[in-house]
Amino acid sequence: MTNSLNDMRHAKSLIFIGSNAPEAHPISMQHILHAKEKNNAPIIVVDPRRTKLAAKATDFVRIRPGTDAAFMLGLINVITTNGWEDKEFIRTRVSGYEELLAVTKDYTPEAVEEITGISAEQTRHVAKVLAENRPTSLTWCMGGTQHSIGSSITRTFCLLQLVLGNMGKSGGGTNIFRGHDNVQGATDMCVLADNLPAYYGLAEGSWKHWCRVWDVDYEWIKSRFPKPELMQLPGFSLARWYEGVLGEEKLYQDTPLKAMIQWGCGANSNSQYNRVVQAYNKLELLVVVDPFPTMAAAACDTDNIYLLPSASQYETSGSVTSTSRQIQWRHKVVDPVHNSKDDYQIMELLVNKLGFADKFYKNIKQVPEDLTRELGRGALTIGYNGQTPERIKKHMENWHTFDIDSLQAIGGPCDGDYYGMPWPCWTDEHPGTPILYDISKPVAKGGLPFRNRFGNEKTYDSSGRTENQLAAKGVCNPGSEVEGGYSEFAEIVPGTNWKTDLSQKTLKVAIARGMAPFGNARARCVVWNFPDQVPIHREPLHSPRPDLIAKYPTYKDKQKHYRLDTRFESEQNPELVKEFPYVITTGRMVEHMGAGAETRSNQYLAELQPEMYAEINPRLGNNLGFRDGDMVWIESPEGSKIKVKAFFTERVDEKTIFLPYHFAGVLMGESLIDKYPEGHAPYVVGECGNVVTNYGYDIITQIQATKDGLCKVSKA
Amino acid sequence: MARLKFLCDTERCIDCSGCVVACKEGNHVPVGVNRRRVITLDSGKPGEKSISVSCMHCADAPCIAVCPVDAIYQRDDGVVLVNKKTCIGCGYCFMACPFGAPQFPKGEVFGARGAMDKCTFCAGGPEETFSAEEKHLYGQNRIAEGKVPLCAGMCATKALLAGDADVVADVYRERVFQRGSGSNAWGWSKAYDKK
Repeated sequence: MTNSLNDMRHAKSLIFIGSNAPEAHPISMQHILHAKEKNNAPIIVVDPRRTKLAAKATDFVRIRPGTDAAFMLGLINVITTNGWEDKEFIRTRVSGYEELLAVTKDYTPEAVEEITGISAEQTRHVAKVLAENRPTSLTWCMGGTQHSIGSSITRTFCLLQLVLGNMGKSGGGTNIFRGHDNVQGATDMCVLADNLPAYYGLAEGSWKHWCRVWDVDYEWIKSRFPKPELMQLPGFSLARWYEGVLGEEKLYQDTPLKAMIQWGCGANSNSQYNRVVQAYNKLELLVVVDPFPTMAAAACDTDNIYLLPSASQYETSGSVTSTSRQIQWRHKVVDPVHNSKDDYQIMELLVNKLGFADKFYKNIKQVPEDLTRELGRGALTIGYNGQTPERIKKHMENWHTFDIDSLQAIGGPCDGDYYGMPWPCWTDEHPGTPILYDISKPVAKGGLPFRNRFGNEKTYDSSGRTENQLAAKGVCNPGSEVEGGYSEFAEIVPGTNWKTDLSQKTLKVAIARGMAPFGNARARCVVWNFPDQVPIHREPLHSPRPDLIAKYPTYKDKQKHYRLDTRFESEQNPELVKEFPYVITTGRMVEHMGAGAETRSNQYLAELQPEMYAEINPRLGNNLGFRDGDMVWIESPEGSKIKVKAFFTERVDEKTIFLPYHFAGVLMGESLIDKYPEGHAPYVVGECGNVVTNYGYDIITQIQATKDGLCKVSKA
Repeated sequence: MARLKFLCDTERCIDCSGCVVACKEGNHVPVGVNRRRVITLDSGKPGEKSISVSCMHCADAPCIAVCPVDAIYQRDDGVVLVNKKTCIGCGYCFMACPFGAPQFPKGEVFGARGAMDKCTFCAGGPEETFSAEEKHLYGQNRIAEGKVPLCAGMCATKALLAGDADVVADVYRERVFQRGSGSNAWGWSKAYDKK
């Protein structure tokens, strides 16, 4: 989130796209409804389903799954055609705007209606509402990202906010709700295949930076890899690791994967889950670290699996990062019960056994405080430096002194700090940054410009135009020594820049000069390192509209995508819809969480949602000849199928079937409840919705496309 | 003396069932017995509304009037409680209640139902306050601890309000006043919205 949950209270309008906050983020609703009630803020909900959030909306916009980018480009078209764009913001803080307009001119409301199913009139209405009620807070979640063009879709959300001038403003921003209490923390640690902690990437300099932080010899780490080039090659992503086990596809490494540790990961959130199960059985070793035995425990036919009972969040302590980038301390309530151990203990035992504890525990004497400290030493890119364990704990002890609207402490021991020191918090004295890219405040008081990351000048491929990428003259945070744009800081300490200077002198010098360590640049409409430099609509891989595939085809197939090839063009078959006529999309229910291992093992939550189902529009169900409550087979183009109960509801339209993804314990019609360890079966088992989610991955992030596949349905 | 009341603000209830689970978990209510539940009208259709319902602790409680063994009684603060040791499980209170609040632990269609169970406003029961028996039969006594009931304490959007009727009414009045400004005012959308 560029802003915070609390700051959404200042929004004058809110738009949600691919987000169903009452089910996925119920706590956020108090702030959303506050804005609605106090500011009269219109709430616009764009979703294929009439969700529980739509029940609180002033406008519900039903969109065809996977066409979000087209709708956003259509809104920009209407806004710019009418002159409603924020001209001064664009002139001073945005680059590549003309190149954006060259794309959006084709996305007229009528063209958008053809793609999205949203009437031209409604597109015009929404654009007007947003133009008249600024600032707008824009929220998306997995509904925006889990598409083969997910990275383009999310960029169009940002572009809309740039065009409206809603960035860096209280009540505005792009506010992506994170799915768990510490997912932002996990993301910042880059538990990913293509990054070292704090988004440092995998380049040689990045490895060397972290080796300096850990006090580990770079050459030793390098020697651990069978080939040096593998060190900088992204690994297998969460979405497709099982292909690395199955070895049916071309792999960009010498051997298939042989062992897997799943740490707090219910893998039935993986698309094509039946293939995940095949991979489980092919692995030589599978270790599941979890408070509850996940579906993996029941799905494995071989004895290759070890279950390590880990402690719950109440049995351990440490720093966690919320969706609003705030860092809090989690205190232990009780010691780990039974024979479970907390994650730190399990990791330490593992590292000891593997024989390199001496290398990695040099700075770690007191767990978990020293972990937070080491992180603060190294994670300079995102300003994890000022949030020491002492300061975090002080904030929590003085929680009552912080204002609910501004998040700032009014008097008391934390006077002037923002609660949880939202990152970046550059130094011990810095109050945290409650709103990113806000140039109304000095950098030392939590202000920031846009980051200078991609050079100072660029000639665009599409137009041949050359543009300065730094902010315009006179546009900077108050007190900035340079009155206008400037480059990122480097060579303050010779041989380093602001991201690699472990003395943190560079950060302090920049702030003392009233400037941001990362420079003051423009936000880019043209991303020249992406396949679509300005985002455009491309039809989902498995599209129900053969006519639109011709007009908006997907990408060429992608080679060496992480450690695999990914099919795009060769997978997009216009004939597919004839056999698989309905769009399948997935999502959350409020009672269950993630893969559901924990919540389906809670008797009260199990009682509230005891059964897997498929939401089907009554008209579709009646036309197909089955009744509400009948068991139906849902089949995917990949040949997998699930047997679930039909739940007739008008939440979905006649072309779309919705599945919650939290269920597990039944696989393609067969219950596995007897295969759980004795006494550990959850109260509720059900078919995994992700068995029938289709092939399809984003071209940049490789996130799975679970929101816009195709399926067929028949009575069981 | 304060009069305790519940109020569920349907503009704010998001049907998350947090109140239901908080009540059950905190009071160890058995599966199948629902002291509180969330009802949704027009689910998935325009105008969908949800409301959290439990015993409302009525002023002139019909359950008290019909109980043949005088097992149900009302405290001075308005909280309606049942004495489970007196209750014969006849179910008359269930027929009389306009909110469907009384619950019975046994599920058979005919025969013994067991002693009636319902929302206590988290005020325990007739046994000695904070005693093990009170906790076993009725759950927590948070009112005696000076706390609001679990359901209202849990509510993410503060849709469910519980407490002194005057305070609850003030909170709600302020909300209605805020919403009444501008286009939320009754009749305005019909009268003045441009189609």
